[in-house]
Amino acid sequence: MSIEKIKQNYSNLEKEGIFEKEFLPHINPMYNFAYRLTYDDDDAKDLVQETYLKAFRFLNSFQQGTNAKAWLFRILKNSFINDFRKKSKQPPKIDYQEVETYYNSDNVDVSMTTDLRVETVQHMIGDEVSNALNALDVDFRTVIILCDLEGFTYEEMSKILDIPIGTIRSRLHRARNLLKEKLHEYAKSMGFNK
Amino acid sequence: MATNLFSWIKQSVFGKISCKKCLELLELITDNEASSEEEKRFREHINACLPCYESFNLEKSIKEMLQTKLEKKQVPEDLIESIKLKIRNHT
Repeated sequence: MSIEKIKQNYSNLEKEGIFEKEFLPHINPMYNFAYRLTYDDDDAKDLVQETYLKAFRFLNSFQQGTNAKAWLFRILKNSFINDFRKKSKQPPKIDYQEVETYYNSDNVDVSMTTDLRVETVQHMIGDEVSNALNALDVDFRTVIILCDLEGFTYEEMSKILDIPIGTIRSRLHRARNLLKEKLHEYAKSMGFNK
Repeated sequence: MATNLFSWIKQSVFGKISCKKCLELLELITDNEASSEEEKRFREHINACLPCYESFNLEKSIKEMLQTKLEKKQVPEDLIESIKLKIRNHT
């Protein structure tokens, strides 16, 4: 994949071809990503539209045949941070220091996994899963969406989010533990678990 | 002597990695990011260690749950048309 700043010089016809064949096929995952970031149909539509218009405007920065999906996700994520997050006035809530310290320490969290059972997870229904994921801070939610739902590699995620792979791993680890906590809380409240 | 014997028995039963190392590899394995050597050692360990095997199953089932149970929204048709129209007006 390449998100380098090598300028291309496409004709209008080539641009339309790339847009149609390489960009538009990703619109469903893009819309789902936007919806999971904003929780709002109209905001998700605006965010996807803005992303595609930006992608077209900056199409000369895209190298044909490289990873269009990662390139589009990166633009969408940046548009969300620059425009939508400001609108919602949500300050970033992650304690990054805590995350790094947590991951680099020798304490691997074993207890967390023993509280939740595979059978409980298998019996969860869509709304419960969705509520647990949505309860996570947007930065934690994002890594889970990119990795588990969209199947991006750590390297692709690192380029999409502009953070080192080590931070991707630590954020993912923390995000998954928080998700397990939410699922466990839910299971307990429904009497599924101990 | 007794310590050496113990670690030899432990190693031959649980493979060449510890539970701590196994849990560190857990996410790499689930995310298909581990090397083949790491994967081999990990498999050797979980074949003999029930708690690590259970942790692995949980990790896998959570990933599967996210992939299969979350609603996948279909993009509104008018959005695609609106984007295409704006692009056409731009060129």
